[in-house]
Amino acid sequence: MSSAKPAGLFEPHDTRGDLALHCDVVVVGSGAGGAASACTLAEAGLDVIILEEGAWYRTEEYSADIPEMLTKLMRGGGATALLGRSPVPYLEGRCVGGTTVVNGGMCWRTPEKVLDEWVTDRQLPQMTAKTLEPHFEHVEEVIHARYQDPGSEGGVSLAFKRGADALGWKLSQNKRNQRHCVGSNDCVTGCPSGAKQSTVQTWLPRFFAAGGRLYSNARVAKISSRRGRASGVTGIITDAYAKRRFSVEAEATILACGAIQTPLMLLRNKIGKRCGHVGRHFTIHPNIKMAAHFEEPIDNLRGTHQAWQCVEFKEEEGILLAPGALPLGFMSAVFPGFGRLLAERMRSANHIATGGVLVDDQAEGRIRVLPFGVPYVRYDVTDADQNKFVRAAALMSELYFAAGATEVYTPFHHLPIIHSPDDIQKLYAAPPRVEDTEYFTAHLMGTCRMHGHPKGGVLDPQGQAWDMPGLYVADAATLPGTIGVNPQVTIMALAHRIAQGLAARLLSARARSTRAS
Amino acid sequence: MIGPNFTLRGRRRRIARAIVDAMVPRWPEFPHDLTEPVLASLESMVQGYPPALQAGFTAALFGLEFLSPAMGGGLRPLSKCDRATVNTRLEKLADHQLPQVRQGVLLFKILISMAAYSRPEVEAFLGYRRREWRDARRKFRDSLVANDPLELPATPAALGAVVSPADYLAFAPALTGPTTAESATERVTP
Repeated sequence: MSSAKPAGLFEPHDTRGDLALHCDVVVVGSGAGGAASACTLAEAGLDVIILEEGAWYRTEEYSADIPEMLTKLMRGGGATALLGRSPVPYLEGRCVGGTTVVNGGMCWRTPEKVLDEWVTDRQLPQMTAKTLEPHFEHVEEVIHARYQDPGSEGGVSLAFKRGADALGWKLSQNKRNQRHCVGSNDCVTGCPSGAKQSTVQTWLPRFFAAGGRLYSNARVAKISSRRGRASGVTGIITDAYAKRRFSVEAEATILACGAIQTPLMLLRNKIGKRCGHVGRHFTIHPNIKMAAHFEEPIDNLRGTHQAWQCVEFKEEEGILLAPGALPLGFMSAVFPGFGRLLAERMRSANHIATGGVLVDDQAEGRIRVLPFGVPYVRYDVTDADQNKFVRAAALMSELYFAAGATEVYTPFHHLPIIHSPDDIQKLYAAPPRVEDTEYFTAHLMGTCRMHGHPKGGVLDPQGQAWDMPGLYVADAATLPGTIGVNPQVTIMALAHRIAQGLAARLLSARARSTRAS
Repeated sequence: MIGPNFTLRGRRRRIARAIVDAMVPRWPEFPHDLTEPVLASLESMVQGYPPALQAGFTAALFGLEFLSPAMGGGLRPLSKCDRATVNTRLEKLADHQLPQVRQGVLLFKILISMAAYSRPEVEAFLGYRRREWRDARRKFRDSLVANDPLELPATPAALGAVVSPADYLAFAPALTGPTTAESATERVTP
């Protein structure tokens, strides 16, 4: 898959004129949810089309030029941010493979505690650990969720582990969707060795093998309906030479455009207004980046993005500490200052370990559509969550100093550098405000949540819109609430479950109709 | 012009150039001036942004041009100042008590640093042979995969057979393990 173009993949130059397509199920998006659901449906014997807004790139096309890759692979060229008390930048893939091409590849199942909440609070008795077990197992098998090859962890992860071990804090080894990850340390701009098992390497080859078709550069604008039931989509092919349209007629439509684009599409199509939940309950696992300077070289060029997480404070306080190896270009953005100051600091770049802290957020943001279809995405970090961040930054500093760091860098405007363990108390003495903190996120979720009651959410337990039969959502927007861990496996497991249910219903309806005729 | 043909021309270019010139890294022993290549990279990045973001970028440029005399000292617009003055003014704005003002500077800092520090000459100067590392890794992985014919669950179990953990992140580790499907199977079967 990495080099040869699959037979079922159509780029704009592979077709001519406007397209009128027909299939059993049309899936919008080829990321974690879209590819998993499309593959499941195609392998069940259904005729499936995927429409992907972004372009298709071979592994060989993932270059070392970071600005170029941001422009090619990310929505908005990577310059996307949530508005709020402090803007929160986020990255969202916009290419065949979606965000799985640009994520860190961490594989965690939904914690049982979270599933219990979904069963009780969201009235979803189907969401028990036991009923989801086969879906998790299947997903982990397909995406090759494995521990790192020994020796591939790298200095950034090892320094982090050293600190946690010195303090006796509990570590959890990451499983990642990788096959012989060789520690290129370039996950975020497309794995250059092909080791990361994004959907381009896993679900999509199976999808094509089952006869599926994928149209890249196809931007969906409208969800069509007939007698109140979804009947397909229409949109535009972003062909450089001519404006071309497409329409797809299908028995079922699955939206898998991510936690921001899916609600925007529903809102622009005036779907789900009755329930009042579209675009609400937006949670993001906000995180802050930190870094530490060590006397000895860290050799941060080499090694995987993240081999362990520290879960010592996860259960009680909702705080997760993690290393995060970054290429030099991204690392420079984490440091305070610019120009001469930054240049002097970057002289010792090889002595720097980067990482971050992530908190389970209590806040909920909202996605709206302003007049003329302008999107408005707002998320305000609350003071309660900010207190968690201050505590988390203090813990991370403690960890780094225990590992032998000489300085710790924070994203707080008034205290950018912590010079010694004694300095950590300054964080508590004058806690940084939300407005004085730089955040980041890559885990957006919950904006079209599933709920057992039509008044409680956008989707029913089968992932179908309460307001429009035949319309399904299978992406991060589907999640009934924040999950506290990297969401990729949860998204795929729910998408797999939704697709299996849909396949069973479509095939049994077809069998009934055949018998009747 | 806003849209896919976005370019930095006229005053917009002069302001952007002044900011880039002040923010790119300079070391006494580093012979390159990165201003023009980073400016080109910045222009190309913004070209890929949606129109609303391009408009925001332009507004931020003019914000710094006219805010800096008001808030950063001095009367001349930013684009007409020398590098040292631009630097001083941007540092003042980056430390301003209003978060919105700081964020304007931060936006440029992130874009410019990212573009500058991912350039091959900067990486080489700081001892990062990143491009060679990526190539070496690709070849190494190809050889690992060739030595790992089992589809599932091949990793990490089969690895110890072909390369030691201590050598794994070497620039060009030598493989010593099996090269055939049969021998790999023997080594990973309990």
